[in-house]
Amino acid sequence: MKTHGIIPDEWIVSYASGALSEAHALVVATHCHFHPDLQQKLIDAENIGAMLMESRPLAKVSSHMFDDIISKIDDLPNKAMQPSNDNGLPFPLADYLNHKSLDQLNWRMMGPGLSQVRLWTGPNDERLWLLKAKGGAKIPPHDHRGIELTLVLQGSYHVGNDQYGPGLLEIADDETKNHTPLIDPGEDCICLVVTEAPIKIHSFLGRLAQPFIGL
Amino acid sequence: MDEPSVFSDYSHEQLVILVARNKDRNAFHQLFDYFAPRIKSYLLNFNISDQGAEDLTQDVMITLWQKADKFDPEKAKISTWLFRVARNKYIDKVRQQKYPEVNADDHIASMIAPEKTDQTIKEQQDRGRIEMAMAVLNDEQRKVIELSFFKELSHSQIAEATNLPLGTVKSRIRMAFQALREELGDYR
Repeated sequence: MKTHGIIPDEWIVSYASGALSEAHALVVATHCHFHPDLQQKLIDAENIGAMLMESRPLAKVSSHMFDDIISKIDDLPNKAMQPSNDNGLPFPLADYLNHKSLDQLNWRMMGPGLSQVRLWTGPNDERLWLLKAKGGAKIPPHDHRGIELTLVLQGSYHVGNDQYGPGLLEIADDETKNHTPLIDPGEDCICLVVTEAPIKIHSFLGRLAQPFIGL
Repeated sequence: MDEPSVFSDYSHEQLVILVARNKDRNAFHQLFDYFAPRIKSYLLNFNISDQGAEDLTQDVMITLWQKADKFDPEKAKISTWLFRVARNKYIDKVRQQKYPEVNADDHIASMIAPEKTDQTIKEQQDRGRIEMAMAVLNDEQRKVIELSFFKELSHSQIAEATNLPLGTVKSRIRMAFQALREELGDYR
């Protein structure tokens, strides 16, 4: 069963098992921050992982491991203070951004009403970025290669009849053709996005600009 | 370090509280004896050497010593907390990626508190429950869960490894998870 804007369970299992990339894990963890029922599912999935770990045949650990640990903990410095989460963002993202606020990031203009911050590039050109679009802006029609996850942090947008607001997540893939998100009028829409490969923009001008805007 | 166990009737969660409050080394030793061989065994599922698994297990146990005071037994089981630390350390050290976490402190407050009595008996029962729950799954469902948790394979990697369409892999994981949640419903 597909629920609008909520990540399907197989992603929760993959997150819990450690099978996601850094970018996908950040989007899933941040998405879960908005939804207590997803947090409960995640705990259930991690409980399953823990029980599977506990049920493994025991490995032999070296006879000196415990003494090695004791000598290491005797030398440990005092713990550093944890930075507080005071930038108003969901914890996983705030932590990922080293507790900087969105305004302190290096936003790059991509076109009229659109700017982005590149956060991470992984193997096979997987990219994690923040996208900021002015209210009323239209993202150029495009197709996808691989999966695109878009998590709304602020503002909202429409794709056809589906609306995506804060905490909701859209999954687009190879089969999502002519994807044309329309930003709702009003406040800026800020999203956390992962793409697995550059998107295919339809218009000639869009394609010309693509290498410079980095989509 | 061969002292007889003085805490044999304590639950793992109670032992962690002794480590957090008193830096109790006997309690820590008891946790080590139980968890270190299991954490190492879990890590050996991945493609790392025996020494690599040994080093990561040490790191996990040191993290337990350092952060025991952050552990809240009303919000998580210590085995789940250690599983999470082991998973993240492997991803950090071997795959060299971060694994962002939903803040444990933000986990919903309505988690059921661990029972105060018969804790060790309950733990022994809990440990047998995953085998019973896994037995409810059919072979195909069990396979996708094991490839997820023991090999950290993504949906598309599982599809490749099993020669199945991606959609089938996803629906099998969903069904298996749903069945396990139903079986383990009151395990929280």
